[in-house]
Amino acid sequence: MGLRLKIEGNESIQLDETIVTGVKYGADIPKDSNARSTDLGSTIQITGKILAAVGGEAADDTMKMAKWALVPAENADCYRKLTIDVVSASQVVRQVTLPNAFVIGYEEDFADESGVGTFTLLVKQKKDKMAGLAFEGGFAGE
Amino acid sequence: MGFRLKIEGGAAIELKEQSITSVRFRTDIPQDSNARSTDLGSTVEITGKILTAVDGEPFDATKEIGKWALVPAEKADCYRKVTIEVIAASQEVRKYTYPNAFVVDYREDYGDVEGVGTFRLVIKQKKDKMANIAVEGGYAV
Repeated sequence: MGLRLKIEGNESIQLDETIVTGVKYGADIPKDSNARSTDLGSTIQITGKILAAVGGEAADDTMKMAKWALVPAENADCYRKLTIDVVSASQVVRQVTLPNAFVIGYEEDFADESGVGTFTLLVKQKKDKMAGLAFEGGFAGE
Repeated sequence: MGFRLKIEGGAAIELKEQSITSVRFRTDIPQDSNARSTDLGSTVEITGKILTAVDGEPFDATKEIGKWALVPAEKADCYRKVTIEVIAASQEVRKYTYPNAFVVDYREDYGDVEGVGTFRLVIKQKKDKMANIAVEGGYAV
């Protein structure tokens, strides 16, 4: 199962299956409501590796994510379009698009025993733009 | 993967890859907001070893970190410039600069079976100076 992440805003961030190790998609709906609530949200957690470039290749885009996490709310660039592809056996199992995603958590972990670092990115779709969230999948693609 | 820590302001503190064992960068953003919040913070957690000097070499700078953790808030010296470098395979993977960092936690652990002690330092960037944090990296060293 390959996971791909694309973030588009002032700059483009692209992380492919060699980097992304996990995606958790969840809906944020009040659990104590008596009927269907209008208070609907969506959070996605993405985990992956921070690789060191070898053989003269370019560094991965994870640093751009760290910078995105620090963009202040006054700057329109804090909202970016995020696309996650879950690809398995030439099928796109899921393609989730958050057109107005913002960061609510970003963490980087490094240890002296591992050759790679790890990151955890937590994003949400802007709540008043929930209708713009696209949840697709089940078509062929690689 | 190697780490280098430099703390400037007050006594110069420098710790190299022999001392530091892990680094964790974290953002502090409210997770229940409906849109991007202006309440933005950043925390760094650094763990490492407290080495004993042998063969007459100078002691490591961990003692100065312990002293920094005790500087009262009334003194300007409690805010210092911290630079953390993550280096792997001749590449500068990350270089984080926190120009106005302050200590929120410092711990030292010693036991009778280990030859070294361990420390854990938790720092934050002063919240009104968040814009000054620099994230660099992705180039050869």
